[in-house]
Amino acid sequence: MRYLLFAVLASVPLALAGWIGWRGHAGSTQQSASAASTAPSPADPDAALLALFEGEPASAKLKEKVALYDAQTLFDYVDGAAPTFIQRGFRKLGAAEMSAGGGELTCDVYDMAAPANAEAIFTAERSSSAKSAPGWPEAITGSKSFVFRRGRYYVKLTAFDAKAEAALPELARALRGRMP
Amino acid sequence: MTDSDPKGPPRFTRRALLRVGATTAAAAATVASGLLLLDRDTGLPRHDLVKVRDHRVALPAGGTQMAIVRGKSPTENVKRAVEALGGMGVFIRPGEKVVIKPNVGWNRLPEQAADTNPELVTAVVRMAFAAGASKVWVTDAPVNNADTCFDRSGIRAAVGAAGGTLVMPTANNFREAEIGGELLRVGDVLYPFVEADKVINLPIAKQHSLCGATLSMKNWYGMLGGHRVRLHQDIQKSIVELALMAKPTLSILDATRVLLANGPSGGSVDDVKQLDTIAASVDEVALDAFGATLLGKNPAELGYIAMAEKAMHGQADFRRLKLVEISA
Repeated sequence: MRYLLFAVLASVPLALAGWIGWRGHAGSTQQSASAASTAPSPADPDAALLALFEGEPASAKLKEKVALYDAQTLFDYVDGAAPTFIQRGFRKLGAAEMSAGGGELTCDVYDMAAPANAEAIFTAERSSSAKSAPGWPEAITGSKSFVFRRGRYYVKLTAFDAKAEAALPELARALRGRMP
Repeated sequence: MTDSDPKGPPRFTRRALLRVGATTAAAAATVASGLLLLDRDTGLPRHDLVKVRDHRVALPAGGTQMAIVRGKSPTENVKRAVEALGGMGVFIRPGEKVVIKPNVGWNRLPEQAADTNPELVTAVVRMAFAAGASKVWVTDAPVNNADTCFDRSGIRAAVGAAGGTLVMPTANNFREAEIGGELLRVGDVLYPFVEADKVINLPIAKQHSLCGATLSMKNWYGMLGGHRVRLHQDIQKSIVELALMAKPTLSILDATRVLLANGPSGGSVDDVKQLDTIAASVDEVALDAFGATLLGKNPAELGYIAMAEKAMHGQADFRRLKLVEISA
């Protein structure tokens, strides 16, 4: 009888440990900016990515925390577009709603891990009718949209009204100025 | 059992250790089996799986099977398209509960053409009520933040304007349902798809970087909750498996504005083309084949169309249906 009791008592933590591991595997790896920025370091690419949003670039204000997505969770933000990025070396996305110039926009900064990868996704997403921004060949300006690449980063700014649209070029230049 | 000296400590024999090991394994398996009955995400007991019923109806014998309408007014276009199929009364009987599934996946404005045109949502809700529906739900599980998507797309206001009921994708609004596919066996489905008498699919046509095009069958992704990565391991097959489960009463394809590049989310209005077109049918495969042509694609390029046709879900050669084309 004592062996049976021993066996049952031993089995409970074993089964619980397995179950907790199984549940943990199902969890999201999405992080918030506050969680990821607790230990910023110049060598930490997540901290560098989050730092791009700090301090109101071009007076643009964050309306929410910056959300970080990795290759697993990118589907939860861009759905079926995710493989286009992942196949080109995507490392992490920082995405946030912002207000600028009295309007609203989204700011998506893709860390593509290397300048060649950022160039590859910039080229892949560039439509034939896209117009380069004046004096900035690595930027595309469009209606309600401003897209550019700089170093390892690929940035998509999307405006939701005319005021935000007018603020996009200045915000883009401010972000570019923060990128190595 | 152990051999033991009554005066000394018990001594484990190999036989006794084997017995303890076997009993431990059996007990662990029993406890683990019990824990598997708990929901993976919530830790609460799982509820029974529900089934999504077949919502299809038969069209009048010899009647139009597919209608394509082109004109400047989305509301007039959808009215004419449904009238060409026999009118909403063919699909909805008085007192029935109806769910309408637009694409509200993205934090985008209507002019960015990533979500269904809100004017169409208003029109179809009103048409369902006019046919006698007792309840009209409108629902979707967006990719981006749900509140933002329903607001920015104009669809929250569109539903309210027509007196419909918006069902948001909060945790308590899902039911664990049997999908019955090979890839997708079980999924959390928004409850109106389980409770409604009739289902109207109301997707927007747009380019999709992974599967080629988002049309009517792909729109069923939005009836499911949970992480989306699992749906993309074999996207063509997943699309078909969900379509085979959903079996809508009617599908209406919004091609008022179509996103031709950088889909499914888009963003730049420069990637959008105004086509002012609505197509309606009970055949999702035919509708998707037609939608592919609007995006400049050969339907044969889209793997899920051929797969769905092979699964007897519809007719890829939409010209073989009894088709009417109307220009307003």
